[in-house]
Amino acid sequence: MSTATLSNSPGKWVVLPHYAFAALAFVALSMLLLFSTDAFGGHYFHPKLLTLTHVAVLGWGTMVIFGALYQLLPVVLEGRLYSERLALLTFGLLGAGTILLAFSFWYFQVGGLMHAAACLLFTSFLLFNVNVIQTARKAPKWTIEADFIVSSAIWLLVTGLVGLLMALNFTIPFLPEEHVHYLQLHAHVGMVGWFLLLIIGVGAKLIPMFLLAHPKESRKLHWAYNLINGGLVLFIFDHLFFNSGLLLLYVSLIGGGTALFLLYLDDARSARQRQSTDLGMKQTFVALGLLALPLALLFLITSRLELPQALLSSVYLVYGVSVFLGFISALILGQTFKTLPFIVWMHAYENHVGRFKTPLPKDLYSEQLLRWQNVFYLLGLALLLTGVLLKAQVLILSGAIGFTLASLLYTANVFQLLLHKAQNLQPFTYGNANA
Amino acid sequence: METQTPDIGREVFATLKYIIDPEIGVNIVDLGLVYKVSLEGDQLNVELTLTTPGCPMSNTIIMASEQILHKRFPSLDVKVELVWSPVWTPDMISEEGLRQLEKN
Repeated sequence: MSTATLSNSPGKWVVLPHYAFAALAFVALSMLLLFSTDAFGGHYFHPKLLTLTHVAVLGWGTMVIFGALYQLLPVVLEGRLYSERLALLTFGLLGAGTILLAFSFWYFQVGGLMHAAACLLFTSFLLFNVNVIQTARKAPKWTIEADFIVSSAIWLLVTGLVGLLMALNFTIPFLPEEHVHYLQLHAHVGMVGWFLLLIIGVGAKLIPMFLLAHPKESRKLHWAYNLINGGLVLFIFDHLFFNSGLLLLYVSLIGGGTALFLLYLDDARSARQRQSTDLGMKQTFVALGLLALPLALLFLITSRLELPQALLSSVYLVYGVSVFLGFISALILGQTFKTLPFIVWMHAYENHVGRFKTPLPKDLYSEQLLRWQNVFYLLGLALLLTGVLLKAQVLILSGAIGFTLASLLYTANVFQLLLHKAQNLQPFTYGNANA
Repeated sequence: METQTPDIGREVFATLKYIIDPEIGVNIVDLGLVYKVSLEGDQLNVELTLTTPGCPMSNTIIMASEQILHKRFPSLDVKVELVWSPVWTPDMISEEGLRQLEKN
């Protein structure tokens, strides 16, 4: 028998720990939210809000993206991951850095502990870049999706560098402008450069694949790439050197690029062969719909409407919540159950397929738990957004309870998958074969 | 989909229908992934493709196809080869495959 070609998938110990850490980080994030209802009454530069944001973006978002990406990079780039050892090292550094940073923000210890956390995170991002770029260099065919992914990794490094400089600036002030000025830069490079570009790069490959649609032209994606990167670069230079007040132009470029990506997905949706939509894909479409909220708020914030200061500070907070706990979290909650069951299935049953009756990936987790997870999440998000906008602590607490329930159901399902083992397999009794 | 040996070809396709693409939930024959079956002496050759290049299922589907064919035709030497030409498109899904897709 020929062994033909080998799969490019990395070992399961490279990928699965990321999902476990991210699920626990989501629970921690929801619990911290329960104790932070008083933090949404004023400015976003608040120790508890900084803690929540960094647990969300690092422990939850970035961690699960790293894990999924180590599995998906070989699919998108059609080659093996450059180094599994680097991936494990990156995981350790990201995990340790996130915990230390969360601790130092919550107790607002801006000294050595925060410096150490920022160094760990920056090193993690640097090694991640080495792994992604080296993997991409060996790709047999360069695609626009590869452009998105490699660029997003570089933007992550820039985000980490700005974060490191800000951490140092707390104790040894050397930056010319006030801290919040760089915080805006740090946040938007992270949100647009890292999360948005990465999500577009991976989504453009995976979503049509899940829908069984093969879009033939990628012009919309090329334009999306140019517009988003152009808007972000112009924003950075303007923010650092000019403050020209052309923010609306940059937001329009980024918004236009995002709209083109959504149109590309709509083309795929129209051409799809797979009409039925499972819960994971439904949640993914909900996430893409939720993207409209932060984009609309960004236009509102930058359009220089004379909003009352109290309302404006609430809108800023709603904007942040709608990005991290809205769009990004919704997407992860959906895509986890499109990627993780498949990864677990592959490792558990790869050697049994063709010899035994095997379950399908969708049989490895509870659809019931997933359904309720999505319900509690959406309910929690709606309550939280309303509570933050109205500065109503009861609503914020109700939203946090919704998030906590969603996170517990998510984690139960994720660990059911992670602990799954193949057992009691029945051999095939097919046709008239001598089975 | 092509077979140079009609008798055994029908049995090979019937056997490969037991291999289900785990993500899609449809067997690889009705998905149109099996391109060619031929018999040269004692060697059974199968050419199949995947829904997308770089698919992590490549090893699994090839190994599964080899295992099931080896079990079904123990006297033959089975060789399963992964090919990328022609590129698979959703138009290659059979009517039965489309019916299964609607159910999943």
